[in-house]
Amino acid sequence: MDDVYVLGAGMTPFGKHPDRTAADLGAAAVLEALDDAGVALADIEAAWVGSVFQGMAMGQRALGDGGISGIPITNVENACSSGSTAIWDAAMSIRAGVYEVVIALGVEHLTGQFRGAFTPDESDIEAQRGLTMPSVYAMRAQRHFAEFGTTTEQLAAIASKNKRNAALNPLAQFKKPVTVEEVLASRMIADPLHLQECAPVSDGASAVVLVSKAKRDQLGRGRAIRLAASVLKSGRKEVGLPEMTFEDLTHRAAEEAYAVSGIGPEEIRFAEVHDCFSIAEALRVEGLGLFPRGEYPARVVKGEADLDGRLPVNGSGGLLGKGHPLGATGVAQVVEVVRQLRGEAGDRQIPGAKVGLAHCRGGKAQGVEGTACTVNILTV
Amino acid sequence: MTVVEANSEYDLEEDRVRLRAGRCPDCGAVFCPTGTVCAACGHRGLDEILLAPTATVYTYTRVHQSTPDFQAPYDLVYADFPENVRVMLPALGEGYPVIGEQVDIVLAPGPRVKDGQLIDMPHARTAAERSEHDG
Ligand SMILES: [Zn+2]
Repeated sequence: MDDVYVLGAGMTPFGKHPDRTAADLGAAAVLEALDDAGVALADIEAAWVGSVFQGMAMGQRALGDGGISGIPITNVENACSSGSTAIWDAAMSIRAGVYEVVIALGVEHLTGQFRGAFTPDESDIEAQRGLTMPSVYAMRAQRHFAEFGTTTEQLAAIASKNKRNAALNPLAQFKKPVTVEEVLASRMIADPLHLQECAPVSDGASAVVLVSKAKRDQLGRGRAIRLAASVLKSGRKEVGLPEMTFEDLTHRAAEEAYAVSGIGPEEIRFAEVHDCFSIAEALRVEGLGLFPRGEYPARVVKGEADLDGRLPVNGSGGLLGKGHPLGATGVAQVVEVVRQLRGEAGDRQIPGAKVGLAHCRGGKAQGVEGTACTVNILTV
Repeated sequence: MTVVEANSEYDLEEDRVRLRAGRCPDCGAVFCPTGTVCAACGHRGLDEILLAPTATVYTYTRVHQSTPDFQAPYDLVYADFPENVRVMLPALGEGYPVIGEQVDIVLAPGPRVKDGQLIDMPHARTAAERSEHDG
């Protein structure tokens, strides 16, 4: 089994890009990642491309626009984990010794496509009865309140933290900090979640170039970041009355990532996690074992997850602040971890960061807690 | 004026709704809606059962923004049935549903809208006289 390294990373600004296409955004991220890696178009042996609502052959359109064609290109759809699943696929190909230089791209262009709330697939009975994505998380939040004494102000503090971090990230969709009071004053979407606690609709693309150890040695040891674990799991069909405040899916993905890498949760210095809603960030980090169960929202209020805290969470701004172009999100998390580990994160740099974790978890289908979850652990 | 959609989701017993579900003949696990294979033990084929017309609220929300197919605001609950299965249902009642409270399963209009009319569907009926939540 060969080691895998991230040699290049690229991403477009996230936000509203009404005048650009998905292909054009994807190509921009690919070219930046190639330049960052110092590899040529012709060096790329295979590609995996994650997107959710972009129609047929998104990969061929984006890569073709970026000058890459003729190689094996696989399109990946795995709900919000589509991009990070593309990384998982690409990493496996290197680990298996099939390829030495590959690219994973995530891309999404949603402006103009959606209004209102995202819902599960309409064939699901829960969707037919009125379940929306915010309402799934709202109900998990109400349960977290009842079991652990979590408050709406604590959840608002999570959203405020991420928007504050986003204001330090030039690629983020939201450019200005938002106070807890402003979060609570925003429109109620599904009680207790306010508009400012829900990830926005975004456009954007992100890409990483993955290489084998031999290629890393040949091409550029200095900037390469080791992908110590890349794990993908799907949600188990629920039986009986599972606890909705504990993420079995996140937990299982994390346990495997810790085992594969030999790096335990106590060694993780910072994390990018799938905060599609404020409560989601709490459920993620508690499921990952990074904070004790039930305590995360209160610890955010104490500053433990701030950029200068014990374990910074979503220093990029997360989905709430940086934006959430579905297919691009999981790759962008890895781009952020790479930049932090290289010391290239500018105003949001976490000093001395040597080990980071990226968690991406998507979707809801009838009878399962979530559809897909990836955990990537990266080290210098 | 409301419309009843013909479907295979439930049986009506007087004013109570009994949801159709599947029980594994091998291990007893219950799924609602039913499925092809038991997710607990892999047994192929589930027996059809009807769930009890009462359940317990596990959690809830009030949805203020939805899609054009629904008339917001409306309440949702996850309700735990005595058959050891959890089902999501719209909720009916004046006040907020409360975690742990007993609900009756009844047929009522909404929140789904079709051709401008609310569709009758199974609801969890919470205590009707509770005062409005202030938060
Ligand atoms: Zn069974």
